[in-house]
Amino acid sequence: MEKKVLAGLVAAGVLVVLGVVARTLPAPRVTLADEVVEEGPRIVEPMQFLSKGAVLRAAELDAWVAEERRPRFKALRDLVFHVADCPETNEWVDSAEGQRLERLLAELRSGKREEAFASLVLVFRLARATEWKPGILTQTPHANAERMGGLVADWLRAWGERGARDPLLAEPTRAAVLVYGRLMRTAQQAPVIGTNPASYERALKTVGELLGVDARRRTALGEALQARHPEAMRKLVGDMDRLRGLDDDAHTLFPDLDGECGS
Amino acid sequence: MSTHTERNAASGIAFGAILVGVGGLMLGLQIDANGAWCGTGLSSLAIGALLALGAIAVRVASKIGRMPRDELGLAAVAIGFFGLAFAIGGALAPGGPWMFLQVLLLVAVVALRKPDAESGRWIGNGAFVLLALFLVFRLWISWQGSQLRWQVMSVDVPILSWLPFEFLAPISRVSLGSFTPLEMGFPPAGLDFAPSATLWALGFAAVIGGLALLQSSTIEHENDRIHALIRTLPPQVADVVERLLPEEEWRGLGLHGLPERQLARRIESTVAERVRRQQALRRAVEDTRVLGTNDASGFPGEIRRALEGQDPTGDVR
Repeated sequence: MEKKVLAGLVAAGVLVVLGVVARTLPAPRVTLADEVVEEGPRIVEPMQFLSKGAVLRAAELDAWVAEERRPRFKALRDLVFHVADCPETNEWVDSAEGQRLERLLAELRSGKREEAFASLVLVFRLARATEWKPGILTQTPHANAERMGGLVADWLRAWGERGARDPLLAEPTRAAVLVYGRLMRTAQQAPVIGTNPASYERALKTVGELLGVDARRRTALGEALQARHPEAMRKLVGDMDRLRGLDDDAHTLFPDLDGECGS
Repeated sequence: MSTHTERNAASGIAFGAILVGVGGLMLGLQIDANGAWCGTGLSSLAIGALLALGAIAVRVASKIGRMPRDELGLAAVAIGFFGLAFAIGGALAPGGPWMFLQVLLLVAVVALRKPDAESGRWIGNGAFVLLALFLVFRLWISWQGSQLRWQVMSVDVPILSWLPFEFLAPISRVSLGSFTPLEMGFPPAGLDFAPSATLWALGFAAVIGGLALLQSSTIEHENDRIHALIRTLPPQVADVVERLLPEEEWRGLGLHGLPERQLARRIESTVAERVRRQQALRRAVEDTRVLGTNDASGFPGEIRRALEGQDPTGDVR
């Protein structure tokens, strides 16, 4: 047998063995950022700040906010956590306190991650303390849910992708996507007859960009949501009512976030 | 001529084997949604190996598909076995009830099929086409899975799907052929479809190309072996033997895969038989000339002229 032929056969044999061995290569496990334990001082159990019992720990956040913003944060944090009588979201956000809160949220979003987290805590609290469920006799029944959804979307646009890779923000970011889906689905279904397609399309575009739904490769946030909320992702891609999965999972995680101040 | 064709056959086998190896490697890998490489699993390869074993067993049992007798031929068969296992393992749906239907079809079309008497190939074009169709199906369901659509297809129910009522959503669309990520053998992060599908399609093409090349080169290599034995005779005798036993008939005569001594005997006996037949025929033709016929027109006349070696037009050849 010629040397060249022999070398070819030996190479083929090696490739065949590699072809069999390659099949046994294990698939890498998906490690989400929130599974990483950070060293040093940190905000532990961040999801407690987004839950109904956030009021018990909210004051801990003051220490994480930059000194120049801290007094304003403390005052607004105190205000938001003591909103009473369940005002409509639009009405409250358009008030003087609401406008101050919006400005502070924008500042916090441009700060470090703990400040971004603090801003998300305030948004979640606002979603619990104000009414965004559509009213029957209003001309724009979707407006409150849209406003609330806009606040969550602003946060997600600033921190969504970074948050998915951050041990502190990973889980809260996923929660924010779910809640955004819930808010926008509420806005979509606000009309008594028919639906509000503008809210639906806006939500799909925002979520699509955040998660990389229609892109060739999903974003880190999309991968994280796929790993932890596969059914929500499946519906987001292929269901007729694409926000339903996000809404369902948000309802499971935060049953008290009902747009009626948990009443 | 002999050395040249031998070199061609050997190079063909080596190149075909490399193609099979490269294709097998490509079919064994996939890329997850995070861009990490991982294996496609051994289960479909195991089924492919079993079917390939069946195909080789049927080949060995047939008259025209005996195993080769030298190292190069045996290496070609060994690589061919892996090639067929890779091709089947790469084309099969990774799991679910479809896989069993596919296996049944492959048993009929690949494993139990005897080598083609005319071409001598033990994997025919029909099997290649069937495997290609299976690969297309696999790519389709992988695409669906990569898009998180866990069914072969979904069909909107007319009328129900047109109504804008949410409560009708569960019954307004019917899913056909549901499957799960586990059945598909997807990595936990999901499948990056485009590069994985490209890898599989190119791998499949390489394996099929390699198998086709291996088959034709192995046949050529066997012919070279027989030719070399005949060429041990004095040149004029060898020419006569090759005229009596044309190369196209060697496989049909069962010469492929015979050990050297049996091959020599088979050639001797076949040459003897054909010479006897030629002589008998010549005598019969002579007899017809002696008997003759007066009728020189029409069909009898044409036959008479043909037996005398003339053209039907009347020209003597």
